[in-house]
Amino acid sequence: MLSIKNLHASVEGKEILKGINLEIKAGEVHAIMGPNGSGKSTLSQVLAGNEAFEVTEGEVTLNGDNLLELETEERAREGIFLAFQYPVEIPGVSNLQFLRTAVNAMRKHKGEPEMNAAEFMKLAREVSKQVDLDPAFLKRGVNEGFSGGEKKRNEIMQALLLQPKLAILDETDSGLDIDALKVVSDGVNALRSADRAILMVTHYQRLLNHIVPDHVHVLAGGKIIKSGGRELALELEERGYGWLGIKDEVAAQ
Amino acid sequence: MATTDKEVKELIKREYEHGFVTEIESDTFEPGLNEDVIRRLSEIKQEPEFMLEWRLKAYRRWLEMEEPEWAHVDFPKVDYNSISYYSAPKKKEDMPQSLDEVDPELLKTYEKLGIPLHERAKLAGVAVDAVFDSVSVATTFKEPLEKAGVIFCPISEAVQKYPELVKKYLGSVVPAGDNYFAALNSAVFSDGSFVYIPKGVRCPMELSTYFRINAANTGQFERTLIVAEEGSYVSYLEGCTAPMRDENQLHAAVVELVALDDAQIKYSTVQNWYPGDENGKGGIYNFVTKRGACIGKNSKISWTQVETGSAITWKYPSCVLRGENSVGEFYSVALTHNYQQADTGTKMIHLGKNTRSTIISKGISAGRSSNAYRGLVKFGPGAEGARNFTQCDSLLIGDRCGAHTFPYIESKNKSAIVEHEATTSKVSDEQMFLCRQRGIDPEQAVSMIVNGFCKEVFKELPMEFAVEAGKLLEVSLEGSVG
Amino acid sequence: MKPAPTLSSAFLQPPGQTLPAALLALRQQRGTALADLPLPTRKTENWKYSSKYLKLTDEIAATLPVSGTPAAAAPGYCAVLRNGVLVSDASNLPAVAGIRVRRFSELSDDEAATLAQRLDGTLDRQAVQLAGLNSARFEDGLLITLEPEAVLDQPLFIIHETGAESSGSAFPRIYVDAARHSKATIVEEYTSSGTAVAMTNTVTEFTLGDGASITSVRLAMEEQNVQHLGATGVRLLDNARFESHCVGFGGPLRRHDLQVRLEGPGAECKLNGVVVTQGKQHYDNHTTIEHIAPHCNSEETYRNIAAGESHAVFNGRIHIHQDAQKSNADMNNKNLLLNNGAEIDTKPELEIYADDVKCAHGATIGQLDETSLFYLVSRGIGRRDANVLLTMAFINELVDQIPVEAVKETAQARLSDFFDQTFQEA
Repeated sequence: MLSIKNLHASVEGKEILKGINLEIKAGEVHAIMGPNGSGKSTLSQVLAGNEAFEVTEGEVTLNGDNLLELETEERAREGIFLAFQYPVEIPGVSNLQFLRTAVNAMRKHKGEPEMNAAEFMKLAREVSKQVDLDPAFLKRGVNEGFSGGEKKRNEIMQALLLQPKLAILDETDSGLDIDALKVVSDGVNALRSADRAILMVTHYQRLLNHIVPDHVHVLAGGKIIKSGGRELALELEERGYGWLGIKDEVAAQ
Repeated sequence: MATTDKEVKELIKREYEHGFVTEIESDTFEPGLNEDVIRRLSEIKQEPEFMLEWRLKAYRRWLEMEEPEWAHVDFPKVDYNSISYYSAPKKKEDMPQSLDEVDPELLKTYEKLGIPLHERAKLAGVAVDAVFDSVSVATTFKEPLEKAGVIFCPISEAVQKYPELVKKYLGSVVPAGDNYFAALNSAVFSDGSFVYIPKGVRCPMELSTYFRINAANTGQFERTLIVAEEGSYVSYLEGCTAPMRDENQLHAAVVELVALDDAQIKYSTVQNWYPGDENGKGGIYNFVTKRGACIGKNSKISWTQVETGSAITWKYPSCVLRGENSVGEFYSVALTHNYQQADTGTKMIHLGKNTRSTIISKGISAGRSSNAYRGLVKFGPGAEGARNFTQCDSLLIGDRCGAHTFPYIESKNKSAIVEHEATTSKVSDEQMFLCRQRGIDPEQAVSMIVNGFCKEVFKELPMEFAVEAGKLLEVSLEGSVG
Repeated sequence: MKPAPTLSSAFLQPPGQTLPAALLALRQQRGTALADLPLPTRKTENWKYSSKYLKLTDEIAATLPVSGTPAAAAPGYCAVLRNGVLVSDASNLPAVAGIRVRRFSELSDDEAATLAQRLDGTLDRQAVQLAGLNSARFEDGLLITLEPEAVLDQPLFIIHETGAESSGSAFPRIYVDAARHSKATIVEEYTSSGTAVAMTNTVTEFTLGDGASITSVRLAMEEQNVQHLGATGVRLLDNARFESHCVGFGGPLRRHDLQVRLEGPGAECKLNGVVVTQGKQHYDNHTTIEHIAPHCNSEETYRNIAAGESHAVFNGRIHIHQDAQKSNADMNNKNLLLNNGAEIDTKPELEIYADDVKCAHGATIGQLDETSLFYLVSRGIGRRDANVLLTMAFINELVDQIPVEAVKETAQARLSDFFDQTFQEA
């Protein structure tokens, strides 16, 4: 489904990604782990098309089509979804209005009829329950005054509504207590299906106890230096990143 | 993320929708201003003697005054002798008695502006007074209003029919010598609306005046007076447009509101005068004095304005809170782009006990425009327990525009409390990225973010207008992505 | 309309001639420019609330004589100026490598010429026209130069004493030139002696080179027979930092304009101010922060307390220029009105020409919180003491930040006297 070949990317002239190669097939769940500053978040931003990052080399295809040619919103409509590490607030724009606009943009792209306010409200209420968000949140401004955990649940709710082909979860577990982690993981597990791929970017392996990956990759210094199965994550937890020859203060603590 | 910024700038480009000219024969005065012009004007309007005297007094006062220069706007001096002070479509007889007698060209004009005046197409629940250049051409729903005892008519008609009311209240809130433009208006005002809501009456429908400048080289000097007697309520809306012309045109209006005990006046404006072209050529000079007096106990005056037009705006809808427990409100959205300049805000003058006021001002600047909030919150010695809350937010789109805040806060009462906050922000790259990542068009995203920024003000508008205002901003933000 | 009164020519009579030629010429030129200067009225925007307190009568036009022994002294490094002229005997100037404190009158002709070119360079002269009278009248002045990397190990106290044994005005003038990476704390205390009608008309300027750091503390404590018309101008280059703490006690006229120009990327300023007024006193602080370069920060916090029939004014202006992207500016002004009869006027202004900036201002006017007052009283504290406690609390946060212990103590003692008088037992 997603194929990344020799991807190089830089921000403000500084190269962060130095040749990433990765193949993700439909139905698979991949986890990318790595110490802080290894380029994990950059990878997810680049895939979503953030213009702050410049792709200097390499290619990325989604089902054979060149992804890098597409604008951010076109990628979204082709099925790329990014759950942000730090979701931004948009004061005054209600979550409901925002989500309906997004869902209808998607439906229009697929040639489906747009949903009216009542239909959408019904759908949104159901989905919000799935991530344990009070439907009252739908009326509030996008992420406005949400706690960290609420923001993350809101991201997952959006994924459930938009039904992407590839969901990229950027540090979705950060800032979550154990209960919230469970709710978010259940949401992500509900996303799992044979025609959808999930790419999780995380520093810790605790999320992987709840969402079991098929493949685990270790990213360091802008490159994937090791790939394996679930057991690789466990090993990382036990031994830290040090045994791979990477320094990581956080993991060492 | 410079590209995003560029896109946002592209998005703000827009076309003015209401720039057409109505081809109609008009009676227009030669340009120039002197006492004879005022006498002629008063004669045409068949005014009683007191009105002429009042005008002349104002004119003499105006001659002695100097044009204000303190506003944060910059424009060439207006030549008051190059303007025509009266222009009206030629009439077959005196005053159209019913809509059937109104020139079809005029009806077409208003229909094109989205304000149908025909019996069959009238806006449901909204009575409209249509003012074309210097005269009112039609007023709808006269009958049901009369039944309720509400007077809603052109002010020129009121001067003849209700001279006592006019004498009592005209100039009672904005005296003829209040300021330069108010004095000019008092001398030469042509038409506008008069509203009188009797004691205890809740006006059965929204009242609305639609102002249209059509003729070239004319000034529009409208005068509106609304009196709400004890325990009454009225919601009044005002809309304005003008053709696209290369010359600047002057609009100097005065609006006076009077609220007696327990009365409420809600005054909403969607101002969409021609703003000039993208090089700053043409557009309306909008110099307006709007003031409401909460004379009675528990009275309330609420101003809501959405300002997207005019080359230059100079406007401070204000409230004098005299009655105990009276309430003043000001909700404003002002959008400027290209070379538009706006200096707008409000004055809340707290004189009575426990008076309260709220100011929410949202300024959006784009292009090379300049957008200033200027406000005064004043507590007199008698304003025991008075309160004000002010919030001024500015949104900048592009790095060539200016956003300014000049709030004056004065207090002489120790129990009065004022809180003022102001912030400045831009449409952030992060917000744009989030919207686009969810598949939303950049145009729609900017429009959504700007509308969200204005939400607190839009929710104060009557339903019909809220939709119009939202659309107006959308039109303002329409364009192609670069 | 009758013409507005202008500055009396008595104020422009030539002062003493003991300065180097270049400075004499500058003074002359500034004086000429002030001829027929219209005096501010209620309609003059930056004197809107204060013009009625200004009494520039011919009585105070004369320059106060230098003679007489200054009463004031300070610990550590100190420069005592009586009526604008350094009194060497009473002073203890720092002997630190790279730092020089000199009178204008002792400068060589070359140095004086350079200084003459730089004087007023930190100020928007149009905005401080009246305080600028100082440039036409300074009798002498103090030039403080810090060479690159020089660090003043202790604060330097500048004691400005206006000796009002007879009527007239003092025109103290200070210029601080802090070269790159130099560092100093400079305290200015304004005091007065004598009971004749008088005025302090003072201008202090700071120029900060790359990475220089100056902390300025300013106490305005003249007696009630003395008007104060002062201006401070500051210019900061790359990564320089200016911190200011002003504490002002009301008087017949108190006016201080503080203008800060952030001209180099990374420069920052922090401006704190406390003003208390009582009786029929007046105080007017006008501050301007010019964000000229990108990536600069400014933070401003001013608190006013007005009691009796006094009048406190604050006008804070933040101006973000077009190239000053990534500016952060935060201004906060809170006011406490203790009596009906007193007046507080505040105008926090923003003028913004760059879009990628974070600017906010907040202003409040109010009275002591009844709930807190009740809480204290219910714990057995007398109503008067409770009032004093809460009023002090309103400004403590700022007083505590004064980085020079001796000044903090002086300020605290004066403030506590002030509150004793304000809240006299009924």
